[in-house]
Amino acid sequence: MGGITGNAVALRVSVGILVLLAFVPLLHSSYDENLVRGVLMFATLSFGWNLIGGYTGYVSFGNVVFFGIGCYTTAALWQHWHQQNVVLSVVLAMLVAVVFALVLGIPILRLRGHYFAIGTLGIALATQEIIANVDWLGAGAGFPVRPLDAYLVYFYAMWVVCAASMLATFFIARSKLGYAFVAIRENEEAAAVLGVDATRYKVIAWAISAAMAAAAGAVFAGANGFIDPPTAFATDDNVFPVVMALLGGVGTVAGPLIGALILTAINETLWSHFPQIHTLFFGAVIVLVVLFLPRGLLWLLNTRGGWKGFVRTLGAYRV
Amino acid sequence: MQLFAQDLVNGILVGGIFAVVALGFSLVWGIMNIINLAHGAFVMLGAYTAYVLFSTWHIDPFVSVPVGFVLLFALGYGIQRWVINWVVRAPLLTPFLLTFGLSLLIINVVLVIFHGDTRGIETAYSGSNFSLGPVTVAWTKLWTLVVALAITAVMHVWLSTSRTGRAIRAMAMDIDAAQLSGVRVSHLYAIVFGLGAGLAGAAGVLISLSYSLQPSMGDPFVITAFVCCVLGGLGTVQGALVGGLVYGVLGSFGAQYIGTGLQDAVALVVLLIVLIVRPRGILGKATA
Amino acid sequence: MSEFLSIQNVSMYFGGLHALEDVSLEVERGSVLGLIGPNGSGKTTLMNVISGVYKPNSGGVVFAGKRIADVPTYAVCRLGIARTFQVVKPFANLTVRENVAVGAMYGREGGRRSTRASFERAQELCEIVGLSHVAGRLASELTVPSRKRLEVAKALALDPEVLLLDEVMAGLNATEVDEAVHLLRTVNERGVTLIVVEHLMKAIASISTTIVVLAEGKKIAQGAPADVLASPEVVEAYLGSRYAARQRQRETPP
Repeated sequence: MGGITGNAVALRVSVGILVLLAFVPLLHSSYDENLVRGVLMFATLSFGWNLIGGYTGYVSFGNVVFFGIGCYTTAALWQHWHQQNVVLSVVLAMLVAVVFALVLGIPILRLRGHYFAIGTLGIALATQEIIANVDWLGAGAGFPVRPLDAYLVYFYAMWVVCAASMLATFFIARSKLGYAFVAIRENEEAAAVLGVDATRYKVIAWAISAAMAAAAGAVFAGANGFIDPPTAFATDDNVFPVVMALLGGVGTVAGPLIGALILTAINETLWSHFPQIHTLFFGAVIVLVVLFLPRGLLWLLNTRGGWKGFVRTLGAYRV
Repeated sequence: MQLFAQDLVNGILVGGIFAVVALGFSLVWGIMNIINLAHGAFVMLGAYTAYVLFSTWHIDPFVSVPVGFVLLFALGYGIQRWVINWVVRAPLLTPFLLTFGLSLLIINVVLVIFHGDTRGIETAYSGSNFSLGPVTVAWTKLWTLVVALAITAVMHVWLSTSRTGRAIRAMAMDIDAAQLSGVRVSHLYAIVFGLGAGLAGAAGVLISLSYSLQPSMGDPFVITAFVCCVLGGLGTVQGALVGGLVYGVLGSFGAQYIGTGLQDAVALVVLLIVLIVRPRGILGKATA
Repeated sequence: MSEFLSIQNVSMYFGGLHALEDVSLEVERGSVLGLIGPNGSGKTTLMNVISGVYKPNSGGVVFAGKRIADVPTYAVCRLGIARTFQVVKPFANLTVRENVAVGAMYGREGGRRSTRASFERAQELCEIVGLSHVAGRLASELTVPSRKRLEVAKALALDPEVLLLDEVMAGLNATEVDEAVHLLRTVNERGVTLIVVEHLMKAIASISTTIVVLAEGKKIAQGAPADVLASPEVVEAYLGSRYAARQRQRETPP
């Protein structure tokens, strides 16, 4: 079954890569550790986005708000209660994020298409602004967050969070829940006629994606050592996961991880060769990805007709 | 009472600029169903155009308004015709990310050329005000409003009466029928996008008179334009105008009573209220 | 008075247009009700009211003791009412089997079915409607007649007691129509009550136990097929008053 989980070979390869990544600390290079921890973080964010944007078809442009919530949970736990326990902050972050998603989800998921996308963007921007005005959360200046001495914990925590997200996506995709999501994406009205309570399942999808993003944020905050509004709600953390899912394949299980790997590789290459204008090149990369891979690499592998078929798909959306 | 009146006037003055920005955004959204995330970048380019013309040849920004319009129109036309057109009818995510990528490109090119320093335009009349009863009005801002309203009026007339304008409106109603009746859709789409960019550029020039310049200055305008369109009603010139003015006033009062650091929060609340209470906006037509 | 499915004084207005005016009808369990009438007579509107897509402006539909209008759209199938749509839009990026499986997962018996059981049921239904040879293909690749069968399969996956079929035979050739009639008879024999909207008189006459005729939003006839189709009011509704007058002239001796 290629469809709802994606290309089976790619899935096995991705699991293999994920397992291999767990051994990176053996290289004893903190640069590599940080790099791979970044990949795992972005992959997690992308898995989260993929559930609401890829599987359910509700393109969120504000999932970074949940990442930010995760960051601030860890930061608050340290600042106010001197807690550094990673498991505690991850669990608490997920809880807060899910509540946030449930409360806001009901009004915001009534919007569709462009309205939903910009609405979620608005939520992310507004939350960032509001936190910048709340002293208890450090306001504009932010908080330092003291990392654990056993810094390696953060690497493995991020790995666990990423692996759990991928596993969750896999099981959800094959389950009744996954089919509810996809039915909503394909035709929300027809899905209702078939008994799918769209409101309920949209909110569930968004809540799960919130939990994933928050878990990533909770680990990141400890590793980063410092949290302020621009760090917690960075545009990169909002957009990269979407581009990664697009690159790897929206609505597949392995897509987010593959996209995270490739895009990080490209980003690192650009950083090391063109430090001044790497963001400029990154913009170009985004443009190219969108133009040539409208649904991502994994869907490309399934396109019929080889090269000619591929070229034909390029012209499908023009006037 | 004096504060209230001052806020109201300030709101209207800035609302005129919002209206022009919103109009450009509304055209592209209403006719091509594309949310152009690079719209803010076009505004910024307009501002920098005025800056370059002013600092190099001392050309007054008000004179630069048509220049900014034409330059950005050409840029927008080209971008649509040869880049965006490839995915113009693709599902939401694709044009969204594409325009985002273009926005990154544009902002970073400007960053490379001009660096991140804040720049500004100081004309001979920059600081001068006059008093209208209890209210102080800056001359620059007043003339900006006049020009903004003029631009809106001209666009309205052009869209209603010119051949191209009417072809555009036909295309908006039914693109396949328009194509079958010989309308060159790809050219018209490019014109629409060019107009959107041109209007953004003109607004940017006007903004440069009263506000300082930075490569990232355009970012807030995408959300602003979106909210104005939703507020006023998508697809008409009057909608953009009303949306711009009302949002300008709301923002002005918001800044006064809630604080200047919460613009986005105010925008979001306004957006959500409108979408829940009256989704078609103040002047919008009800859809089936 | 049937306790099964009861349409009581239903009226539906759209602006100034009276789509349905005071329509009442009782549906017997296990029957096949043919719903006919000229274009614009309100047949699809009535289907929409019965299936809960529209809430009537006055009157209501009661099924198994519940008022349909009080139930949200996604819960209607759990009551036991399923329908097909005139404009068929399957889940394009899912396979035929997956399309049907969604109904099996979320329909009346869905709560008790596992994913695997839902797919087994979907495979069964594909065989019943004659789509087993394309069960693994994407729904977007199907021909129009196959898409119609898919619609029926999806509706059946909901384990309905009542199945509403809206012009499911439109666009089919003669052979395909015969196959469709056969399929509907099979479904009815398994105990499903059918309400069928069709324009093909022969097909409707051959499967219906009762026929109801709508014209301009009102019910103008109800009864056994032979009686209804010969009735002068029905002829007049379809063919116009001038034809009906000429017909009467021909039939009455001078």
